[in-house]
Amino acid sequence: MNVTSKFDIIVVGAGPAGCASAYLLAKAGFKVLVLERGRGAGSKELWGGKAYAQPLREVWPELDKEAPIHRWVSKERFSLVWGERALTIEYKLGRKVAFTTYLTELVNWMARKAENAGAIIVDEVRVDEIVVKEGRVLGVKSGGDTVYADAVIDAEGVNRLLLEKLGLVEKLNPDHIALGVKEVLSLNPNLIEERFMLGKDEGLAWFVTGDVTLGLPGGGFIYTMRDSISIGLVLPIGPAAKAAEAGLLKEHVSSLVEAFRLHPYFRNLWREADVIEYGGRMTIEAGLKLMPRKLYMNGLLVVGDAAGFLVNTGYTIRGVDTAVTSGKLAAEALIEAFNNGGPTEENLKSYEEKVKKSYIYRELKNHSSIGDVMSDPFFFQKLPQVAIRAASKLFEADYEEPKLIRSFLDAAREEDVSSLKIIYKLGRVVGKL
Amino acid sequence: MSSQASRLKVIKLGELLQRSIWDVDEERHIEVLKQEGLRVKALILLCPMGCYSLAGDKLIMSYEGCVECGTCRVLSGSDQIRWEYPKSGRGIQYRYM
Repeated sequence: MNVTSKFDIIVVGAGPAGCASAYLLAKAGFKVLVLERGRGAGSKELWGGKAYAQPLREVWPELDKEAPIHRWVSKERFSLVWGERALTIEYKLGRKVAFTTYLTELVNWMARKAENAGAIIVDEVRVDEIVVKEGRVLGVKSGGDTVYADAVIDAEGVNRLLLEKLGLVEKLNPDHIALGVKEVLSLNPNLIEERFMLGKDEGLAWFVTGDVTLGLPGGGFIYTMRDSISIGLVLPIGPAAKAAEAGLLKEHVSSLVEAFRLHPYFRNLWREADVIEYGGRMTIEAGLKLMPRKLYMNGLLVVGDAAGFLVNTGYTIRGVDTAVTSGKLAAEALIEAFNNGGPTEENLKSYEEKVKKSYIYRELKNHSSIGDVMSDPFFFQKLPQVAIRAASKLFEADYEEPKLIRSFLDAAREEDVSSLKIIYKLGRVVGKL
Repeated sequence: MSSQASRLKVIKLGELLQRSIWDVDEERHIEVLKQEGLRVKALILLCPMGCYSLAGDKLIMSYEGCVECGTCRVLSGSDQIRWEYPKSGRGIQYRYM
């Protein structure tokens, strides 16, 4: 690392949160250094596929014109699948709220914005340690080199090696974290638009639950990109690991994703497609539980996934917009702190206050009970089975079709679940979703 | 079949890994230090890249195909697995994620 001068601010990690901070701080005239371990910003990024635009526009009003947007989400689908059968609900949106893209591309764009604003981005630098002396953060260490700054923004992501070393967070609990495994399937844009009934530049986001996860907690996702489709599974690590040890999960996780790609209900949507990339990453299940005891210390702020800022509502997941917003709040807090004598612990407290007043924290709190749903196997095994069986009674009758309520009661009985239990569980889940 | 032949088929994990790009570091960044007490079955089935396998009774970690997701780190103690990111830009190079 050939960086010898001192900086006002060092940002660790050129992801969405780090880039937002770096961009706003550089724009405000600060000397900002961003250290990124990947080769080029974005090369370590993996997500499902969609971002909510409005929080991003607050940082980059030019987003719609300039950002590498693939498709504006015009349809949201939800499916329960079991065996050969599937039950699907579709919602057609009335306006442009979220878009699909490759996060690798989007983050690269964010990094270029930060660079054009004056931030210095040095990639291929792995930060090994945040340097602290007498309770004050002085800079960061990479290999034998130390770079100094008045403040450090930790945007290291979900895997918090640095914060753990600092003692600011505990080691991750497998029950609070999920594994996402993804395939990217290349497909001609015309075929994507025909198959999913989309206009040009329109996209679809699809959440799938049922036996695509073999009934394990979690679900599948499908996002249409410009000329590819992203598919994958998200499995909370705690329950999946237990299932592996109990012999309930016998196959490798890549086989589950493959079964999803080859699933009779879905496969014809991408039958000509080739897998052009495969990968995985961890994602947050219980954001609030991941939040560090403090989001700041003398000379340090924590943003993005590192701070647990990912909202899982059960049917949508928001991580990139919350990351960008936290990066923005951190930049604002730092600018105020520098105007008030420096980034001391006392002056940076305002960051935590800003977060707690923002939609990030309200959303995390509002949806925190989704964890109870996500950890209850009932919603991933019995419920989809009963729903599918009830639907089969309605739609697969050769002669006599039962009334709706009878189809449900019979399905519950045949699946050996009490109808009251289902109603009770559904009543609870409706309150949590 | 027509010219738009179906490509739907089973792809072996080894072949699937060929679709992604790595710049493999010559030094390993993840290492099994102590197998005792490790959640071997979970590591083998959940590491998305299949980096963990058994050679007889011994757990082998092949770091070359690692995507640095951290799942094995979450499933183990720091005395069981040494876990670092690969250094200086090495490792997985995602393009379409």
